[in-house]
Amino acid sequence: MDSLSQKHIESSSLQITIILMAALATTVFGFLAIGIGSSEKLGFLNTAKIILGYCGGTPTDFDIIWRLRFPRILMGVVAGVSLAVAGALMQGCLGNPLVSPLTLGVASGASLGASLAIIAGVSIVAVPELAIVANSFLFSLIVVAIIIQLGKYRSVSAESYILVGIAITFICGAIVSTLTYFASDAELSQLTHWSFGSLSRTNLVTTVLITIAIVILLPTAMVWAWDLNALSVGGDEFAITTGVNPATMRRNILILTAFMTSLIIAFTGMIGFVGLAAPHMARIVVGNDFRKLIPCSGVFGAFLMLFADTVGRTLFAPIVIPVGVMLSVIGGPFFMYLLLARRGS
Amino acid sequence: MTDFLSVSGLNFSWGENHVLKDVEFRMQRNEVVAILGVNGAGKSTLIKCLNKILTPKSGKILIEGNDLSSHDLVSLAKVMSYVPQTVRSSFSMNVFDVALIGRRPHIRWRISQRDRDFVSQTLRYLGLEDFAFRRFNQLSGGERQRVIIAKAIVQNPDLYLFDEPTSDLDLKNQVSIMKRIRHLVSPEMGNKSALIAIHDINLAARFADKIILFDDGKVKSYGKPEDVLTEQSISDVFGVSSMIMPREDDPSKIHIIINNEIEEREYVMPKIDIIKSAELNNNIGDEGE
Repeated sequence: MDSLSQKHIESSSLQITIILMAALATTVFGFLAIGIGSSEKLGFLNTAKIILGYCGGTPTDFDIIWRLRFPRILMGVVAGVSLAVAGALMQGCLGNPLVSPLTLGVASGASLGASLAIIAGVSIVAVPELAIVANSFLFSLIVVAIIIQLGKYRSVSAESYILVGIAITFICGAIVSTLTYFASDAELSQLTHWSFGSLSRTNLVTTVLITIAIVILLPTAMVWAWDLNALSVGGDEFAITTGVNPATMRRNILILTAFMTSLIIAFTGMIGFVGLAAPHMARIVVGNDFRKLIPCSGVFGAFLMLFADTVGRTLFAPIVIPVGVMLSVIGGPFFMYLLLARRGS
Repeated sequence: MTDFLSVSGLNFSWGENHVLKDVEFRMQRNEVVAILGVNGAGKSTLIKCLNKILTPKSGKILIEGNDLSSHDLVSLAKVMSYVPQTVRSSFSMNVFDVALIGRRPHIRWRISQRDRDFVSQTLRYLGLEDFAFRRFNQLSGGERQRVIIAKAIVQNPDLYLFDEPTSDLDLKNQVSIMKRIRHLVSPEMGNKSALIAIHDINLAARFADKIILFDDGKVKSYGKPEDVLTEQSISDVFGVSSMIMPREDDPSKIHIIINNEIEEREYVMPKIDIIKSAELNNNIGDEGE
C-alpha cells in the first residue's frame, strides 16, 4: 500500500476513534446526569441499579427517573445532536461559518407563534397545554415553506437565503415586540420563560416521538457529505464540475435543517448557541471533511447540551437555570478560548 | 471518424450582452487546444458552457457523437474535469482530501483502497507528496493550482478543461504546469484531451496542438499555431504589432515577440484644480486655529 494512503487511513481511523470515544463519554455522562437531581435517595448508584433492573425502587423513584429525568436527558441529547448537525450542514451549504440553525428565521417564526399563543391567546390547538408548542411548530413551518418557495428560484444564492432569513427575523421580531407592548406582566413572564430554552417541557412519550423523527431524518444528512466537501473547497462552480447540483442540494439541506430545528425549538424554546459552536469545536478535532464533521458535531452538540443542562440544574439547586442561558454562559467563553488558542498555535 | 468533441452554433448571452456568437469547432483525442483572445472575448464562458456551469442559449455540443444535454452532472463529471482560474474555499481541508473529491462522481459514499492509491500516486506525480496533509488554504497559489489539477486527474476524465491555469503563477511554474498538461494528454496517459483558456500567446504556441483565436465571442480562426497566429491576426485581435519567428529549441514551433507600440485610444485626464483644493484645506486649518 502507498505510504500516503496508509497515512490517510491512519489519520481517518484516529478521527473516527475520537468521535466514538466522545460518543461513549457523552453516553456515560448522560447516565451520570440521570443520577443527578434534588432527590437525595436517587444518586448515581441507585439510579443505575433501577435503570439496569437490579432493583425496582419505589413508584416515586420510578416516576422521577422515567418521567422526569430520562425525558430531560434524552431531549438534551436529541436537541444537541439535531441543532449541531443542522448548524454544520447549514454552514457547509451556505459557505458561511457565522450561520447557525437560527439564521433562517425558523426560531423567530417559532417565537412569533409562541407569542401569539401566550399574549393574544390565538392558537391552532384548543388544548391549552399544547397551544404554545403547536403554534411554535406551525409558525416555524411557515418559515420552512418560505424557504422551499425561495428554493424554486433557479438563481437563488447562498447570500439570498441568509438575507431572507435575516428579513424574516426582523419581521417576526417586530410583531413579537408589538404583541409584548400589549402583554400583561404574567404573559411577559411566560414569554420570557419560553424564550430561555428548557429541556423540561416534554414528557416521555413526546420525547420518544421526537427522537424517532430525528433518528429517521439524521441519516439523510450524511448523504450530502461528499457534496458539501466539494462545495466547501471550491464553491458552486467547482461543485458542479464534480457532479453536484449546488442549488438543489442547498434547498434540500435547508428544508431538512429548518424542519429539524422547528421540531426541536417548538418543544424546547430558544436554544441557539449549540448550533453555532458545536460544528466549530468539531472542526478543531476532525477538520472540515463533512463525512466526519457531521457525526462529530452531533456528538459534541449532545455533550454541550447535557453539560450545560446538568450544570444549570446543580449549580444553584434547587433553582434551575435554563439550558439556553447556561449554554451561552459556559459555551461562549469556552468557544472563544478554543478559537483563540487555535489561532495562537 | 466521430470527433471527440464537436461544438456547433453555440450561443450564450448575459441579458442583452451576446457573449458567444455561433461558436463552432471540433477537437480529437490526445489534442491540446488553446483558446486565445482578449479579456471578455468569451474564453471562460465557452468552457463554462461545456461543463454546464452555464446553460447556452442555443447550439449543439457533442461528445463522441452524444449530445451533452443527455448527460447529467455526475456522468458529465466522469467525462470532463475542470480546473478554474482560482479556487476560493469557505472551509479548508487537507490536500489529500481535496484531491479525493475528484473520486466523487465515481463512488457512492465509501472510498476504496484503489481510490486512495490513485490520489497518492497523483500527488506524487505532481510533486505534492510533502504537502499531502497540509491545509489547502495554507499553500501558495502555485501549489494550490497543482492540488486542483490533482483533483482533476483523480476525476479520470476524457477531457480536461483549464481556465487560465497559468495566470497566478511565476514563470517557472507556468512552464511546469503547461508541461504537465502536455504530458497528461500524451498517449501514455490514455486517450485524453485538454482545452485551455489562456492569455500567454507563447505558452499556447509552444504547448498547444491547435489554437482557437477568439474575437468578440466568435471563432476568428482555428488550426495549428503557426497557421492561426500570424502578425496580421495578432494585430487584429489583440491590437498589438508582433514579430513571429521559429523557436530556437524547436524550429517547428513559433515564438512571438510583441512590440511595445500598442494601438490604444487616447485617455483624457479630468482636470482637477489641485492648487485650489490645497488652498481650501489651508484656509480650513487657519480657521481652526
